Amino acid sequence: MFTEQHLSEISCLTDNKEMLSGFWDIPVKPVFDERIMGFFQGLSKKLFADPHSKEYVDVLSYAYWIRKSSLEAVRKTYSKKRDFENRIGRGTAFHVAPSNVPINFAVSFTSALLAGNICIVRISNREFPQVDIICDAIKALFREEYSDLKERLCIIRYPHNDEITELISARCDIRIIWGGNRTIQTIRKAQLPPRAVEMAFADRHSLALINGDEYMEMLQKDGGKYQRDIAEKFYTDTYYTDQNACSSPRMVVWFGSRIEEARKSFWEALSQCVHEKYRLRPIQTIDKMSLAYEFATCHPNTKIEKKDNYIVLIQPDRLDQKLMDYKGNSGSFFEYSAADMEDILPLLGKSCQTISYLGMEKQLIADLVRKHGVKGVDRIVPMGRTMELSFTWDGYDMIEAMSRIVDIF
Amino acid sequence: MEINLQEFFNSKPYGLDKEKKEAMLSRQLIELTEYHRKNCSLYKNLTDGLGYEEQSIHTYYELPMLPVRLFKQYDFKSVAGEQVSKTMTSSGTSGQQTSKIYLDRNTSMNQTKALTKICNDFLGNSRHPMLVIDTKAVISNRRMFSARGAGIKGFSIMGRDITYALDEQMNLDVEGIQKFLDRHKDETIFMFGFTFMIWQYFYLELEKHHIRLNMKDGVLIHGGGWKKLASLSVDNETFKEKIREVCGNVKVHNYYGLVEQTGSIYMECEKGHLHASVFSDIVIRNPRDFSVCSNGEEGMVELLSVLPVSYPGHVILTEDEGVVLGEDDCPCGRKGKYFRINGRIKQAEIRGCSDTYEQH
Repeated sequence: MFTEQHLSEISCLTDNKEMLSGFWDIPVKPVFDERIMGFFQGLSKKLFADPHSKEYVDVLSYAYWIRKSSLEAVRKTYSKKRDFENRIGRGTAFHVAPSNVPINFAVSFTSALLAGNICIVRISNREFPQVDIICDAIKALFREEYSDLKERLCIIRYPHNDEITELISARCDIRIIWGGNRTIQTIRKAQLPPRAVEMAFADRHSLALINGDEYMEMLQKDGGKYQRDIAEKFYTDTYYTDQNACSSPRMVVWFGSRIEEARKSFWEALSQCVHEKYRLRPIQTIDKMSLAYEFATCHPNTKIEKKDNYIVLIQPDRLDQKLMDYKGNSGSFFEYSAADMEDILPLLGKSCQTISYLGMEKQLIADLVRKHGVKGVDRIVPMGRTMELSFTWDGYDMIEAMSRIVDIF
Repeated sequence: MEINLQEFFNSKPYGLDKEKKEAMLSRQLIELTEYHRKNCSLYKNLTDGLGYEEQSIHTYYELPMLPVRLFKQYDFKSVAGEQVSKTMTSSGTSGQQTSKIYLDRNTSMNQTKALTKICNDFLGNSRHPMLVIDTKAVISNRRMFSARGAGIKGFSIMGRDITYALDEQMNLDVEGIQKFLDRHKDETIFMFGFTFMIWQYFYLELEKHHIRLNMKDGVLIHGGGWKKLASLSVDNETFKEKIREVCGNVKVHNYYGLVEQTGSIYMECEKGHLHASVFSDIVIRNPRDFSVCSNGEEGMVELLSVLPVSYPGHVILTEDEGVVLGEDDCPCGRKGKYFRINGRIKQAEIRGCSDTYEQH
């Protein structure tokens, strides 16, 4: 098992490194176990009480997500499902969290603990205040009323070391890898036990669909407030994460007969919003321009539209599946006016994650996915809600995927 | 359409004031833009995409910029393949993509002519004995025509009795250098090399062995960037001082330039300012909207040059930050803009979930 050398390379943020030498012997729990529910209730309270949390919207929204009433509601939904009483954890879940979304590690272990598992969470070496706030609250709970859970959640950092990854992988029952495709390939070199399952959350792309007619109708009814409100929502979906979250749309597709009016108003309002809130750094300008210019260079008939460098619109003359390989961020959008819903089919391949919509019938989008059997599209959400936390991610029901059923005849 | 540069070669390299230079450069660069649009389909795609219309352009400040990164991704060429006489590559460190610059005879000849004109302003018109602070191996390896090799070749035109200070293994050839200096006791010595190499393989070696070259009159021209030396906390002033310590009475001039615009380099004057010659100009852009920064204000560096004819590298957006200090009024007496480069744009830590694994 772990040598002294390994252990010295590992730093533990939950003060329970000893867990590493015996996590495989800890019993699992049923899903939505009372103690675990209580632990999250306590964690939620601690986070809300910590004055540092106020500075981080993502910590607050996590605390809100795990508060008592929220988790009770989730349990109630699950309790209606068949075999709920007989659902139990799988064992140890080894989480490899991403280096760029600070709160993601918590979302990952929350699902796994509620599913009844023991968690080893490897977080990146990059320092985030959000991580410290959450780990400090967990440590406090372990010291106080939840010392019995101290053997169920261990959050660690270690420098690139294949041996440590191999040792944990060899003893785990579930491996959850968040990350770019390269990370997944690297981690996959470490073998899993025969019965272990793996969930990999890879590079994805997302789109926004807007019905220009609906937009204009709402605009005429509601005027400036609607225009501003929509801009704020789209901002939250995109600029809030530098447009780098998998769920952030990189493509905006317009439908309807009043597209020109609608898009003008939409981008104008967004521009105001971005100017007020967003800090654009020179490197982002370089990256955005290089990408847009690169695309236009090898795709004749592309148009680039920009008022300044805050919003860069790349308008291809047709949609094809290679388009989304161009990964712009910090406010670079492909934009396309579609005549027909089916025009977007080339964009709905495996790597397509979230479709956010405005003024569209969500059922029509779902029908399109089913009718054509496309391999992508895991979420269809209203504009402004792409960042919402959920127990369903990338097509997985996290609780079900991380637990098992004891089938009783 | 033939691109004619005679007007530029007939001018003094630092002799035009703002108004004259702007008119001349605008005419030339707008014409050059049209030329590249006709002869390079990739460039046409891009400029069409940006909505380029010649009739709405009045000065070179309005011309579309090509981000320098694109030279790493695409083969931009405005000449037929068989006219390419050499391909120049940037000497990117291993693993990085390198820029590829396609030169025909005319363009590479003009590069040399412009470089000579610019340097003569600092060296005088006669050829001096030249000590290259590098190894001959860079030149003899024809397979890779790197920026380093091209630099040495270009500057060598201004020297005679060209002697290399380093052997093939990059060791300092002290004996060779001494013999060279003995041959040219009372002459002006012209030295050329790349900033970091000069520091690492020349200065530090001389210093280590307590060797003093005691030159009576020398000029050192060096370029290639300060990134590595900045990490050693060596700035331009320190560099000059230390070089003089080991070499003797030597004037040290740094230069700035891109491999994508070889020839029209920006030389540092006696007052420590980098200068744009008649062949080129610098524009500092605000990163938020590309508006032109006022003098003294830091921004992104755009470089323009009339020399690139075989490839569309005449208007480039670099990844450097800098400041224009003034125009036509540098105390050294040279006309044109003078400026300072502050270094590479900082890489940002961007939020998001696309990549997770730290590289080692």
